[in-house]
Amino acid sequence: MKITPPPEGAFSAVSDARGRLQIAVWRWPIALGALTVFGLFSALLGQEGFWLVLSWISLSIPFIVTVVCLLQAWCVPSVKGGRS
Amino acid sequence: MLFSEQIWDTFVGDDDPPYEVLPPGTPNASLDTLVEKARAMFPGQIITNVSPMDDEPAVLLSMAPSWQVLEEDKKYPDRNSSHWIKFDARTAKVLEQSRPANAPPEPRTWTGLIMGTCTRLHMNLFAGLPGALFMGAMGGVFVVSLISGTVLYGRFMKRLPFGAVRRDRASRLTWLDLHNLLGVATLVWALVVGFTGLVNELQRPLFGLWRVTDVRQILKPYAHLPVPPQDHLASVQAAFETARKAAPGNEVTGLSFPGASFGSPVHYVLWTRGATPLRARLFTPVLVDARTGALTGAYPMPWYLRFLEVSRPLHFGDYGGMPLRILWALLDCVVIGVLVSGVVLWAGKRKIATDARLRALGYALDEGEVSPVSALAKGAS
Repeated sequence: MKITPPPEGAFSAVSDARGRLQIAVWRWPIALGALTVFGLFSALLGQEGFWLVLSWISLSIPFIVTVVCLLQAWCVPSVKGGRS
Repeated sequence: MLFSEQIWDTFVGDDDPPYEVLPPGTPNASLDTLVEKARAMFPGQIITNVSPMDDEPAVLLSMAPSWQVLEEDKKYPDRNSSHWIKFDARTAKVLEQSRPANAPPEPRTWTGLIMGTCTRLHMNLFAGLPGALFMGAMGGVFVVSLISGTVLYGRFMKRLPFGAVRRDRASRLTWLDLHNLLGVATLVWALVVGFTGLVNELQRPLFGLWRVTDVRQILKPYAHLPVPPQDHLASVQAAFETARKAAPGNEVTGLSFPGASFGSPVHYVLWTRGATPLRARLFTPVLVDARTGALTGAYPMPWYLRFLEVSRPLHFGDYGGMPLRILWALLDCVVIGVLVSGVVLWAGKRKIATDARLRALGYALDEGEVSPVSALAKGAS
């Protein structure tokens, strides 16, 4: 699993417009947040095999994404971060 | 605390003898039989509670010399006059009894000591209700800090792809990126655990609120009545049946005898709870007149206690099997990483730095809006 950043244009297009919500920045956070909510509640409301497994999968994704990002930063020397 | 069951099982274990094997479908003994047996074992004492266990075919009967003695116990932290008898629910045989009050206390195990310390530290810092409220306030501060962090995240990540951790620049930027990455990945989880923790700490005030409002109203007509002697009360088994009918879909988890400090002087209070997983923590007390055996009413909890009970598992993480516990522990570790990186950034913030240096690093500061961003990004050296 590799996190590929969205194309450069996606950022500049919205970041130029000050004060507007920057969707691109929030894509990953919203996706991970939605997975977390789904995982928390599918186990709570379902409490059966199928829903439990879905819960484990969806709750582990934010953790896996974190680990992958950390590995990219520390183990892949070519990654240089963003254009700051 | 997350793995407390496993820790107890591993280090302390359960040395109870196994249950008798009976043909499946063996009916349970009448609870009245158990009550009579208990009375015969301790003549002159009162029964306070009858609690069928939900995971074992057993029933616990709690007893005490009298309600008054129990009330007086509250003045002495070391005194506990109540004791219990554990019966096999099917054969009505006595399985176990609590240790007598004058017996030497059970030797404390390291496991018990460590687990007890952790639990009390986490719940109330060994400080009772004030400690619990303080921890609740800390939970509130935690939630606020998560929200303010989210606001800042949007500004810091304007020009960065998600998850980037810059390691080729100032170490402070590495910490900042780390803080942002770990924080945003676990944001919703931390919000949920933080908020439900805050709600949990309010349980005593909320239950107290219920007692002085609804419960007091319900019990008002009976409050002045004397507690009848226990040998003339209606059938306990029949009260269980009545409660089951009064709260359809619920299972009865216990019965308190009339005279208990929170209840009515003339009613059995039966605690019932929902049978489905979501409703399993929603308790509906049922009052059965102990003089006549007639149903007085079923009283679902108010909305704030329902909310409290439903939010409990979301704080504990114990509702989805071992994989969920492990995930809970892993996410805990990530949030600890957020805290550590936050402390590093906060400590570094106090080193003097200028906005110019900030601009050199490429942060566009809005006119007249220097404070939050510069406060965090200052001293990036």
